[in-house]
Amino acid sequence: MTKVALAGQPNCGKSTIFNMLSGVNQHVANYPGVTVDKKSTTIKFQGERFEIVDLPGTYSFSTYSLEERVAKTFLLDEDTDVIVNIVDASSLRRSLYLTFQLLELGKPIVLVLNMMDVARRRELEIDIDKLSEMLNLQIVEAVGTKKHGKKEMLEAISRASRETITEPFKINYNEFESYIADIEEMIGLESTISRRWLAIKALEADRVILDKVGINKEIIKDMTSSIHAKYDLDVDQTFARLRYDSADIVYHKCVKEKNKNADTLTSKLDRIVLNKWLAFPILGVVIYLIYQLSIVWGYKATNYTWPFLAAFKNWLVAILPAAKFIDVPLITDFGIWMTNSAIALLNYIPIFFILFALIAILEDVGYMPRMAFILDRVFRKFGLHGQSTLPLVLGGAFVGGCAVPGIMATKGIADERARLATILTVPYMNCLAKVPFYTLLLGAFFKEDMAIMMFFISTVTLLIALIVARLLTSTVLSNRETAPFIMELPPYHLPIVRSVLLRAVQRVWLYIKKVMTIVLAVAVVLFVLLQYPGVSTEKMAEFTQQRDKALNAFDIQVQKTKYYQLIDEASEVSQLVNLYDSYKARRMLTKTKGAVVSLDDAFLAKNPELFPLVRPTDKGAKKINKAIRKLSKVNKKLKIEMKNEKITNSFLGMFGRALEPVTQYAGFDWRVNVAFLSSFAARESAVATLGSLYEKGKSNLSPEESIAQDGAYTPIHAVSMLLFMILTPPCIATMVVVKLQSNSYRWMLFATFFPITLGIILSALFFFLALQFSWSGIEMMRNFYISVVLLTLILALFKTKQSGWQVGKSQ
Amino acid sequence: MKQSTKPTLHLSDLKQNQKGIIRHCAAEGMLKQKLLSMGFIPGAEILMVRNAPLRDPIEIGIHNCLVTLRRREAKLIKVEML
Repeated sequence: MTKVALAGQPNCGKSTIFNMLSGVNQHVANYPGVTVDKKSTTIKFQGERFEIVDLPGTYSFSTYSLEERVAKTFLLDEDTDVIVNIVDASSLRRSLYLTFQLLELGKPIVLVLNMMDVARRRELEIDIDKLSEMLNLQIVEAVGTKKHGKKEMLEAISRASRETITEPFKINYNEFESYIADIEEMIGLESTISRRWLAIKALEADRVILDKVGINKEIIKDMTSSIHAKYDLDVDQTFARLRYDSADIVYHKCVKEKNKNADTLTSKLDRIVLNKWLAFPILGVVIYLIYQLSIVWGYKATNYTWPFLAAFKNWLVAILPAAKFIDVPLITDFGIWMTNSAIALLNYIPIFFILFALIAILEDVGYMPRMAFILDRVFRKFGLHGQSTLPLVLGGAFVGGCAVPGIMATKGIADERARLATILTVPYMNCLAKVPFYTLLLGAFFKEDMAIMMFFISTVTLLIALIVARLLTSTVLSNRETAPFIMELPPYHLPIVRSVLLRAVQRVWLYIKKVMTIVLAVAVVLFVLLQYPGVSTEKMAEFTQQRDKALNAFDIQVQKTKYYQLIDEASEVSQLVNLYDSYKARRMLTKTKGAVVSLDDAFLAKNPELFPLVRPTDKGAKKINKAIRKLSKVNKKLKIEMKNEKITNSFLGMFGRALEPVTQYAGFDWRVNVAFLSSFAARESAVATLGSLYEKGKSNLSPEESIAQDGAYTPIHAVSMLLFMILTPPCIATMVVVKLQSNSYRWMLFATFFPITLGIILSALFFFLALQFSWSGIEMMRNFYISVVLLTLILALFKTKQSGWQVGKSQ
Repeated sequence: MKQSTKPTLHLSDLKQNQKGIIRHCAAEGMLKQKLLSMGFIPGAEILMVRNAPLRDPIEIGIHNCLVTLRRREAKLIKVEML
């Protein structure tokens, strides 16, 4: 098999070429130990097999950026047979800088001139034969976006794989030649890589290469200072200059610029998009559109996908062993719990898909770096980066987002410290699942002031994120590697539908694969913690007694009807109640009249005897139906009470109570603790748990009303809970992504426990202050808001200390 | 290194649409490597395209490409006005 590596500078259309070669058959993973995408594929062409690996885009081969290190290590370690160098034909001169360094490796190279259409539009005339002759390699013209050049490329690769390079390409490095020769002498290593290349990189004091060839750093330092003394030349600058000079020579011999001063479309567009006055409004519109399309419309789309998930759940419930009144088999309980956990996450897939597709479009168009350009100054103040904008928006900078895609979008941030700070602050944003919790508490305690409270909640989160980012970058993250903000603004391109969809599907699939597995594993643990040790024997006896009472009442009511012989045994009654419940569940999902008829027919076919009692037509059946409804209600109420009893007794309940001594300062009792603990699996469960803990059979009241009437809480309790929820730790899915993107369990744990600590401290502090100064709930929230705003302003006025990389001094 | 007799100024001091030639770069380490690989070498011609809406960073045209950098970093590069 021929091993092929695709190399090229960023924005040269490398991924498009890779997609063109691989089709949908590609494998996306991370390079071992780092979070840089590793894409590979195996293809067959004319009986030959090629393994193609897409290297990260790099401008050069220094050791400073992560991508460069990964690409270089790959080329050094793997026995690559052919290197395909993809080049943006419209900016050939700068691209040659990398091409030269690849040529010096001494491996067969195919040069792909991509974006030939753009080059032609700009009236650049490239003399391919001349270029091929000067560089001594094969050249293929391609337009990746239109899938031109695939066959030619593969033919060239196949030819190149049979080549052996006897005399690698050489640039004359003038004064340095004698030093390069000296180092070549010193290298004992046998390698498929040109000795000269290793010597050149060694002279450039490349740490990776020095380690590989075993040359002491000091020897190179001596050489560098001797060069400086003798010729007054800086080694790095001179190497760069000589490469650029050579590139200039090649460029001028091979390219004719017919229309030198033409105003490109990109510069025309930039005059609007980056205009002093228009930049922010346009950015606002773009962000609003992303939010509207993905979060709002995506959420609406879940209305259409939800029935499928619900149908799946109903189907599963149907094949699980049926409950006998309040005795629900453990396997059924478990099955339902696991399906609920899974579909809670699967429900978000439409949102993710739209979001990922939009991100892919923004990436293709070239707006991402421009967004960073516009906002960098604001974010830099707080240790973040211009590129932090999108992750924060996706996380829910307006109300409602999701931290998972937000954290996934941090991948492109070049500055490691800012990237980690962004990863750790995105979970503070208001995710979609927090919203029901807010509305529950606001509905219960702040019905009148809902709008202003919601305004406080939705704007305060971004400020908190900024403060936390500033806090982290100047403490725990202060030693992290940072990168200078030097970024190319690529020319605008039209997005390619196929590639956008492909990437969206890939990312959704990655999410399902990585997140679901772990979430399900944790769901099992939570199930056990909630299920055991279970309801006590005395309580159980009480429930059984109540059940028997209800059954007796039912029996008396239906005795006189003609259907009695159908339901004179407990097992039959239980079957009937289950049938009633499952029909009601299915009926809820059925909208049209026709669908109802076919649903009825299906049920009737399966249960010819009992179904007429569920959909009664005659008087006797109606009487029974009324009795079932009552029995079903009692049954449900008992089940909820049992569930509450179970939670109260459960390990998680004990844990919640064990936390009470600490959480009481914030005004949380054990029930709130349990709700927060279970929200960890998925935030949705906070509302469900809290709701069911208060439901207590008062089923005619909404959860809002039952909490408000419970009397245990006052509005300041509610605000305290809201403050904790604002700062609350990420859910499990988010934690998994934090682990994936930061590549460290320690950061994952930090991302979990830091917000919990911060949340409990702030809730307790403001709860205490509110009690001391007898603030109302609104006042408490307002004062919290004012403090956060003031703190943000103070931090913004302080100058940030830059560290990690030095500006004027040598490392 | 070639010494120019013409006066130089910081890259960050160029006004919009002014052109210049890089004469000296005081950056070190990672910043230097990054600048070199983007073509910021003595002798290269540059064009100050625009300031960001908040005046920082700045956008520079170099070797037919558009590159952004912060003022702090641009200060390290000395240019001769054309």
